[in-house]
Amino acid sequence: MGTRLRFVARRILIGLIQLIGLVLAVFFLIRLMPADPAARLVGMNASPEALAAARHSLGLDRPILIQLAGYLGFLGEPGLLQGNLGKSWSSGAPIVTEIRQTLPITLELITLSFTGAFLVAFPIGTLCATRPGGWADRGTFVFSLFAGSQPEFWWGVLFIYIFFYLLNVAPPPLGRLDPLGTPPAVVTGFITIDSLLAWNFVALADGLHHLMLPVATKVFVLSGPMIKMIRQNMVRALGSDYILYAESCGLPPRMIARYALRNSLAPALTLIGVLYGYVLGGAVLIETIFSLGGIGQYSVGAVLNFDYPAIQGVVLVITAVSLVVYLALDIAQVLLDPRVAG
Amino acid sequence: MRSLAFPLLLGALAFQAVPAAQAQTQLLYLAEDVPVALDPDGPSSTVNTSQVGRINMMEPLIGYAMKGMNDDGIRIPDFTKFEGRLAESWDYDPASLTWTLHLRHGVIGCSGNEFTADDVLYTFARGKSVSGATTVGWFTGSVAGIKGFTSDVFKGGDKTLGDAITAVDPYTVKFKQGSPNAFFLLALSLHAIYMFDAKAMQAHSTPADPWSHDYANTEAVAGYGPYCLERWVKGDEFVVRANEKYYRGKPAIDRVVMKKVPQASNRVVTLKSGQAGLIQGLTPRDYAALRGARGVTVGGVYGNEALFIAPNLNSELWKNKLVREALAYGIDYDQLLRTGYVGQARKWDGLVPTSFPGSTKTLTQYVHDPEKAKQLLAQAGFPGGTGLEKYADDLKLTYAAEREAILGPVATVLQSSLREVGFPIVLDPLPQSQMASRRLVKRDLPMALSDIDKAVAVDSVYDVNLFFMTREAGGIVNTNNYSNPDLDALILKARGTLSADERLADAAKLQDMLAADLPWVPIAETRTQWAYSSKLKGLTWYPDNSIRWYDLSLEK
Repeated sequence: MGTRLRFVARRILIGLIQLIGLVLAVFFLIRLMPADPAARLVGMNASPEALAAARHSLGLDRPILIQLAGYLGFLGEPGLLQGNLGKSWSSGAPIVTEIRQTLPITLELITLSFTGAFLVAFPIGTLCATRPGGWADRGTFVFSLFAGSQPEFWWGVLFIYIFFYLLNVAPPPLGRLDPLGTPPAVVTGFITIDSLLAWNFVALADGLHHLMLPVATKVFVLSGPMIKMIRQNMVRALGSDYILYAESCGLPPRMIARYALRNSLAPALTLIGVLYGYVLGGAVLIETIFSLGGIGQYSVGAVLNFDYPAIQGVVLVITAVSLVVYLALDIAQVLLDPRVAG
Repeated sequence: MRSLAFPLLLGALAFQAVPAAQAQTQLLYLAEDVPVALDPDGPSSTVNTSQVGRINMMEPLIGYAMKGMNDDGIRIPDFTKFEGRLAESWDYDPASLTWTLHLRHGVIGCSGNEFTADDVLYTFARGKSVSGATTVGWFTGSVAGIKGFTSDVFKGGDKTLGDAITAVDPYTVKFKQGSPNAFFLLALSLHAIYMFDAKAMQAHSTPADPWSHDYANTEAVAGYGPYCLERWVKGDEFVVRANEKYYRGKPAIDRVVMKKVPQASNRVVTLKSGQAGLIQGLTPRDYAALRGARGVTVGGVYGNEALFIAPNLNSELWKNKLVREALAYGIDYDQLLRTGYVGQARKWDGLVPTSFPGSTKTLTQYVHDPEKAKQLLAQAGFPGGTGLEKYADDLKLTYAAEREAILGPVATVLQSSLREVGFPIVLDPLPQSQMASRRLVKRDLPMALSDIDKAVAVDSVYDVNLFFMTREAGGIVNTNNYSNPDLDALILKARGTLSADERLADAAKLQDMLAADLPWVPIAETRTQWAYSSKLKGLTWYPDNSIRWYDLSLEK
């Protein structure tokens, strides 16, 4: 147990160092961009005085180290160290509020998508591994090739056209709920959970209906590589010496399958973790297509608007979420294979 | 059977919700974004999708009478006829440069307060405080020529109204001007200075934020407009309901849901499916394709949007007028209008939008004449384009990358036709922020292709003042370093002339001076368009391109 705790503590420490390095790098790097955010703020009809006033209001007329001190919270006003990410230069709203609003949208989408993809990939991958070259295996190969051959935004647009426009079985791609309806009170930001908390089953059904297509799109794209990974790992595990030994000892097939599964899950979990971080950072396309307004769209808007506090906040939060996911995976790996902690 | 369970459940649940939805008239309006802030002096105050929110919740002192409808059924204001809104009438005393506004009685805002002179004083004092992220309120006061609304406020000058704006009684306000200025009423019609409900705003002030900017940026604005805020989720939706006590009568549409739908194709399919009532932000090609779709109307106006090239006149190359003329004669206007705008634009024959009173077809005209372009280029010392390779940086044509869908094809046609006459043009799309920074701050962009610069104050002299007067003489934008002392002097004279006929004559002279000098190469006037349900009536164009939902009604 001591070894495992030391391992987790070491991972947390490394994660924190990475986070601090990233905060500093992002702070300086975005200020190297060849643009003046104040120019966007004041628009094209601004006088030089208005522009100077805008630069002053953003603190851009201060030396860069003073700006950093302000950002970190050393100048009297609350800063990063006090948990304040500042205010958006585009909207004037606190970054924390905006991230609290947008992050759950993306987390809900990709968590449901990964759950769905895993539920699809696990039995199919296992089935393919038990009968390599069988019809399921051949079919899966064709599906993976087909689903992975086009970018997900294309599948999204195609699904909207088919299921909403032609067949009218899906709702219009207008976000998470019917825009003319009444949403449940925001508690967690997850529409499914908030609907349940409000005991609002109309909103729950509407939310699930609106999530149906975006989640199906992601599952369609994500399940291909997951099936392949699970299949490969299972094939490798089933052909290993310890399974051969177990079979020769006459252990029941269910027990043998459990051994093989446990050893094939670890690499699959790694893939899921990597994909989760990757998908979180790149959710913008699917969010844009389905008008979901998540963290992906928010971050692209921040970059295009040269909204420094928002960029810094988004990078920090996405990195932190990714680090938490990686940490959880590391812990899961240790639980599956205690040798990793050593 | 199991596959039917979910749709059946949805159907049953939706059925429960129907009676409530039928009780009121609702409009679903899909746009590229929803308001990100509502403060006129806040961030994003220059972004159309942010302006539309507060414009429908607030009210101006002055408006315009309606002129009639264009062929598309879009109503157009008569910009020569001011009409009272929150101000019922006004007088002007030229001797003391004082305007007296008589305010309307019995106007009730969403918070239940009555509109009085205190609201006018609050609105202008807030603008002059220059306490927001931007200073649009101050700018509007300066356009109006109100005493004290000068750049001194940025240099330690007085940020209070002083005796410039005073309340005579709760329904009478006096404005003093610093000098004769014909833009006063015009400026008071601009969305940047719509009236606040002072009491409701002050209720949300704090010692650190006495003018309630945080409230306006994050929660709401309090005004006297036709709609009151119901729900606002930034980046998602903006929902308003009718102000039952609105002084011009309760709006015909009870509730408007403005929804962010970033993908243009989704806005189109939702409109075509009949679920949305109004959409915007499509390319000319999209609008052209939607014309004739069942149940859908596409309407638009030639308002104040236009396409032009602004070469940097600080550059040695572009200082040469012969080179600028060669550029103007080298453009294949017809092909550009066909390819880039599929008939949704027309050639611009001047430098002021044709919808503006006083706009003229200028004496000097530039048409596609490749031989003349080559001849002018040779006269300038670049026969067949030889020698232009030295000016490779000056021949980079920059446009906003965010507008690639519209400007990409246009820029390609420009590049192709200009290369034919000898200009080795290179396309250089930049993010809008970066482009604005180069044009506004550094003013070093070699050559800008723009279709977003527009004057929202509809006046030919104002337009020329805005874009072409030198900053030293009091100009505002002038991003490509144009300088003409004669033009500056004439603008100053016209700005102070109250006689409409005299100002129109000056405006014509100014436009001819510009066409002869060619600081910009005017290319096309583009249509401002919307697509909407054929049941939606009353769409009206305003120069800020924001739709007033009060004008709309839905046929049963």
